[in-house]
Amino acid sequence: MSSRFRPAVRALLGLVAAAALVGACDRELRDFGSSAPEAGPTIQTTSLTPGPGGQVPPDPRGEIYEKSAAHVSEGGRLFRWYNCNGCHSNGGGGMGPALIDDEWRYGSSIEQIYGTIAEGRPNGMPSFRGKATDEQIWELAAYVRSLGGFTPQASSSRNDEIRSTPPRNQVTPPKPSAEGGASVQGTAP
Amino acid sequence: MRRPASAAAALLLCGCTGVQTPLDPAGEQAASIHTIWTLMLWVCGFFYVLVIAGLVWAIWRNRRVAGGAPQASTHDPGMERGLAIWSAMIFVGLTVLATWSFFVDRSLASTHEQNALHLRVTGYQWWWKVEYQEGPHPWWFETANEIHLPVGKTARIELESGDVIHSFWVPNLSGKMDLIPGRHNVLDVTPTRVGVYRGQCAEFCGFQHAHMALTVIVEPQARFDAWRLHQLQPASTPATPDAQFGQQVFQSRACGMCHTIAGTDAGGRMAPNLTHIASRPTIAAGTMPMSKGALAGWISDPQGIKPGSKMPDVPLTTTESSAVVAYLSSLQ
Amino acid sequence: MAEVERRRTWWWIAAAVVLAALIILFLLKQTHYSPPAAKMTTPAAYNPGQPTADDGQWVMPAKDYASTRFSGLNEINVSNVANLRPEFTFETGINKGHEEAPIVVGGTMFIVTPYPNKVFALDLTKPGAPLKWSFEPKPAPASQGVACCDVVNRGAVYWDGKIIITTLDGVVIALDANSGAQAWRTQLGDINRGETITMAPLVVKGKVLVGDSGGETGVRGWLTALDAGSGKIAWRAYNTGPDKDVLIGPDFHPFYKMDQGTDLGVKTWPPDAWKTGGGTVWGWISYDPELNLIYYGTGNPGPWNADQRPGDNKWTSGIFARDPDTGQAKWFYQLSPHDIHDYDGINEIVLLDLPIGGKVRKVLVRPERNGYVYVIDRATGQVLSADPFAYVNSSKGVDLKTGELQVNPDKVTQVGKTVRDICPSANGAKDWNPSAWSPRTGLLYLPHVNMCMDWQSAEVSYIAGTPYVGAEVVMYGGAGGNRGAFTAWDPVKRRAAWEIKEDLPIWSGALATAGDVVFYGTLDGWFKAVDARNGQLLWQFKTGSGIIGQPVAYKGPDGREYIAIMSGVGGWAGAIVSGNLDPQDPTAALGFVNATQDLKKRTNTGGTLYVFALPPRR
Repeated sequence: MSSRFRPAVRALLGLVAAAALVGACDRELRDFGSSAPEAGPTIQTTSLTPGPGGQVPPDPRGEIYEKSAAHVSEGGRLFRWYNCNGCHSNGGGGMGPALIDDEWRYGSSIEQIYGTIAEGRPNGMPSFRGKATDEQIWELAAYVRSLGGFTPQASSSRNDEIRSTPPRNQVTPPKPSAEGGASVQGTAP
Repeated sequence: MRRPASAAAALLLCGCTGVQTPLDPAGEQAASIHTIWTLMLWVCGFFYVLVIAGLVWAIWRNRRVAGGAPQASTHDPGMERGLAIWSAMIFVGLTVLATWSFFVDRSLASTHEQNALHLRVTGYQWWWKVEYQEGPHPWWFETANEIHLPVGKTARIELESGDVIHSFWVPNLSGKMDLIPGRHNVLDVTPTRVGVYRGQCAEFCGFQHAHMALTVIVEPQARFDAWRLHQLQPASTPATPDAQFGQQVFQSRACGMCHTIAGTDAGGRMAPNLTHIASRPTIAAGTMPMSKGALAGWISDPQGIKPGSKMPDVPLTTTESSAVVAYLSSLQ
Repeated sequence: MAEVERRRTWWWIAAAVVLAALIILFLLKQTHYSPPAAKMTTPAAYNPGQPTADDGQWVMPAKDYASTRFSGLNEINVSNVANLRPEFTFETGINKGHEEAPIVVGGTMFIVTPYPNKVFALDLTKPGAPLKWSFEPKPAPASQGVACCDVVNRGAVYWDGKIIITTLDGVVIALDANSGAQAWRTQLGDINRGETITMAPLVVKGKVLVGDSGGETGVRGWLTALDAGSGKIAWRAYNTGPDKDVLIGPDFHPFYKMDQGTDLGVKTWPPDAWKTGGGTVWGWISYDPELNLIYYGTGNPGPWNADQRPGDNKWTSGIFARDPDTGQAKWFYQLSPHDIHDYDGINEIVLLDLPIGGKVRKVLVRPERNGYVYVIDRATGQVLSADPFAYVNSSKGVDLKTGELQVNPDKVTQVGKTVRDICPSANGAKDWNPSAWSPRTGLLYLPHVNMCMDWQSAEVSYIAGTPYVGAEVVMYGGAGGNRGAFTAWDPVKRRAAWEIKEDLPIWSGALATAGDVVFYGTLDGWFKAVDARNGQLLWQFKTGSGIIGQPVAYKGPDGREYIAIMSGVGGWAGAIVSGNLDPQDPTAALGFVNATQDLKKRTNTGGTLYVFALPPRR
């Protein structure tokens, strides 16, 4: 190589190295190491509490699971492994209610969804406590949150099922007041 | 000077035999691959030696003409003749290799064997599901991470994938064949020597690709038939109270959600079939040898042993855990 | 003097005679309709092809043992049905899918609702049919989570002074028809194994015949006979497994070779797969008193993913003929061996005597899920004809020599492969909603659908109490644009006489009457009367909710003819409304949601009984 090109090549290589360094920074951390068994959150199914105060603060682990694409995708795997899709299909419902709409009979926070999965519900939702590990229930709850459109940054862009729901990472997240929100039916999907 | 040479020789030779080496063929397909490998070794080795000799000779010859400019020659009939012979030799060598390779490749790809034993191997992250689909349907059964084959009989293995691309490779028996999701691939394996061989996934498939091995046991027909008959039996009923409690825990907790034990209520199909787990040489797809200690370690801390695997950390008390180990190790 | 006296006497006699005549005439006009004697009027009700004097009752959902669903009443006929108007309504208060047929015994109508399976007895002798009594069986709420296709119930049955119902959580209950008091109850199903019961029982010779539901939850199908007096189990015939469980013995003579052999309920499955193999009985049973045989069909094999159960999967998706006293099987014919499209074999079986090949044959006619109308010799099980009544590409016909369905290899479903444009869809060209026969026109009136589907199988674990399906399905309307059709089929000429196209899939039953009027309902609530001879629409009424029930005709205590139908959308077809499902996911409700995306705009849930009649004669 002639000496005339050497500085240009050096600069180019430096630029490439810098880009690679920067690009490597935003990698999602995954914790595979052995961990102590994950405990469940405190569950409060209704927001009605008598007297002042009494609301359970949100569990910080909820955010960790919700914002991690790895946990959400593991939840999606478990959704099929444990036959959740047999009743809820790909979120549209069937034997069980829809999970991609904005109706949450038993609450839409991740702790409440955890409670629904772990304890079951009287009108047909089975109880998975002891059948799925607590960590798995967290992951399932995070996946259900993603079905509801609450986790656009951690949802996948494409589902491999046949002609299924629109990409979850393109859904507008529902407004913060999930309970008591009005919805207008009539616009075609 | 002698010791490194002998060490090198030893290293070279230790690939010649073993349970997971293509240099010790125990099957017809591996034998044809080995033949062509040897041919290539000799042909290429021959040319390699010639090239190195030529290089050495060129360096040696030019040493005598030090300091001066190299002699430019416009016409050197000797060189031209030499090059022509060299080109002809290369052409012949390549043709021989290409033709032989073509025929070996075609013979490996052809699956015209009529009386083959039918198997289906499905690759998952990071284990192998093995289904024997031979004979009438009540004779079909399923196992995991282990294949038994009768010596001298061709086995037709249908390869499918449950998630990503894997590759089936038992070097002593045959070449590689990929397991591609949405596609059926077929591989014929004809073992010719009794023995135990190790196979491995040969296509990077995720975090635990390195721990996705399987055992292939080639045995005489009679032994194979006995093994097959045994595999058709449902799981043995637990004899000791500890094992009975273990079966209870297995069915009522997370275990049955993913694993199947034939004859019990555990019907999960997403994880290896454990009906005869104790009769297998390894667990967790070759990660550990089968033993009570390995089982106990695996159940209590799978993520520590095989981080990223789909087996979760199931919270069991020590009593429950030891009961499950007792139960599983009784499932011969 | 004697002459005058004689004349006066004659006058007195004449006056007395005239008075007596007037009194008798007056009394005749005032006839009350009193409840019938305790026994069912079945011998008269069963007479295939021969219309008999109809007693005006409707004591079982199929009307009679031959399952004709034909009413001999002809007050309502082609010329006056346009004047039909609602007489009274009854609100059940339960807004789930109402597939039930109201049954009428004497002056009382009995309705059993979807979960929570309340029973209402309405007094038809009083204006407005007030409630006589009601009964609440209180089934387990968790059973709602195990019912595949809405929490429906297909109707009650009357026998010997009792009303017999089934509940979603697998209980059979007998109530005293007059008071509603419970006579007995028997638990048959276990929801933790995925079992529910949705069918209307049939009572034959003092035995209550009930089968289980759960082909989508990995159950083992069975038919159980209970003693109608005590509720104790008389016999149980499984539909998979060894011959001793399936009650197959030396009397079993299937016509075709494919159904012959020992322990086929085990041999045609991989090991143990028959234990979760389906073959449920959730549809209809017919009975031939002369041959002393009951006929019923078995449901789909489980799971839907056929790769997990290679083999013919006996005895699913087929028709059994059994002895009602012992349950022993006499013959079996498998309509869809190794079913790969969820073609349950449970539809109604209409017993008719038809002229075929120059002589009158005792046959059964079965409009089947796989798209063919089968005419089968009901003594031997030989298929005499099988002709498509809808567009079918999942198979190429039925080989009459071997009896085998010729499956189209291009439409075979497999794991990891998406197979598109399979017709008919998983709910079949026609599902459970029963047809009606008119001996006057010789036509079988089929309420059915025109739908196709895409299908992708996947591996599925058996986890008791959860679905055991393993398939993603998307359904849509077939060619022609109409998702439903009402076809008048001639089983002798083996073709349709006429057909009405409907926009929405038809999920209601049909009713045929001697007035040559045929009734059916649409999924958005229109209850229609058409001319039985040519299909011309004569009358329709928009009820409050979609109609998926079975219409019945009865003679009221005042002698008038009434037509009764439940209005309350749901079932598999209406699941998007009754379950409030989301059409953004086309695989919801096992694919049906994609075919009924517009249904929420066209109807809401409901649960009302509508009874229609002509205005009373003045």
